[in-house]
Amino acid sequence: MNTATRLGLSDDSKSLIRSVFEEMMANCEGIDGLMVSTVDGHSLISSYRRPMDASRLAAMTSSLLAISESLSREASQDVCRHIIVQNTEGVLVTQRLGRTLVLTSMADKTTNLGMLHSVTRAGVEKIIRMRKT
Amino acid sequence: MSELKFIFTGTAGAGKTTAIATISDFPPVSTEMVATDDLRIVKNQTTVAMDFGEMTLESGEKVFLYGTPGQERFRHMWEILVRGGLGLFILIDNTRPSPLDDLRIYLENFRTFIEETGAVIAVTRSDLSLQPALEEFQDVLTACGLILPIVHADPRKREDVLLLLNMLMAIVELNHNLLNVDGADNEYCDALGAL
Repeated sequence: MNTATRLGLSDDSKSLIRSVFEEMMANCEGIDGLMVSTVDGHSLISSYRRPMDASRLAAMTSSLLAISESLSREASQDVCRHIIVQNTEGVLVTQRLGRTLVLTSMADKTTNLGMLHSVTRAGVEKIIRMRKT
Repeated sequence: MSELKFIFTGTAGAGKTTAIATISDFPPVSTEMVATDDLRIVKNQTTVAMDFGEMTLESGEKVFLYGTPGQERFRHMWEILVRGGLGLFILIDNTRPSPLDDLRIYLENFRTFIEETGAVIAVTRSDLSLQPALEEFQDVLTACGLILPIVHADPRKREDVLLLLNMLMAIVELNHNLLNVDGADNEYCDALGAL
């Protein structure tokens, strides 16, 4: 019942996103995982410093994003800009990349949340700019 | 029983979201996202987390209606949504390539929950495809060692969805003593005590 996404990334796009990933990891050393996935839960490209299951993460990210956006609407707070999941051993930040894609950053517990948020937002803006050019 | 939680599961596009919307007292909470895979042939959006609706019975009891995503990659939501549930609706789209295999997958994944509670199978879109026949679905259930009601249903029709609900509630009533829904094991009753 799981089918592959029809969305794909060209080699050029993958290369560009990887360069953004590298820059994000350089700017925020605690980042141990980055993933671009579709809003319906398919992983497109990811980079990890430790083993992670991209397929499961992509599906869970999709659910999390959908629930967060529903919650935002229910609370009459309009658009959900990003999602932060702060845990005892790390932190995750998820942010939409336009209509169909999502960027998720995962970092260890030494990472400053503000820094991770800032780097993630900058990464999203760079990838969106790339898609437009 | 003042609050009842039931879960709709089944194949993507089988009508889970529609069924909940059909009987919910208010527009359901929906978590649909743009479909980027082959599902786009059937519909543009797909549930990726849950649907939630609610209806109040004449007796005053509230029925909470939860819908799961259909695709197996969202199994994490299946596990979350069945917690505290009293019964399961399995909706199978009869126009898909292998509806009998679809049923087997859901029976296998929800086996423990079904055995602990109860389930009703609804074969949908049978106006477009009459095969497999209900008897063949029944054979699958028999092979799995399960005895469950199985009917054709149109999730757009309120009377059809209410019939499913009545069937499942009858099963729940039968299992009432076993479930101990008014006792200390019940999640709703015990929620404050567990704080």
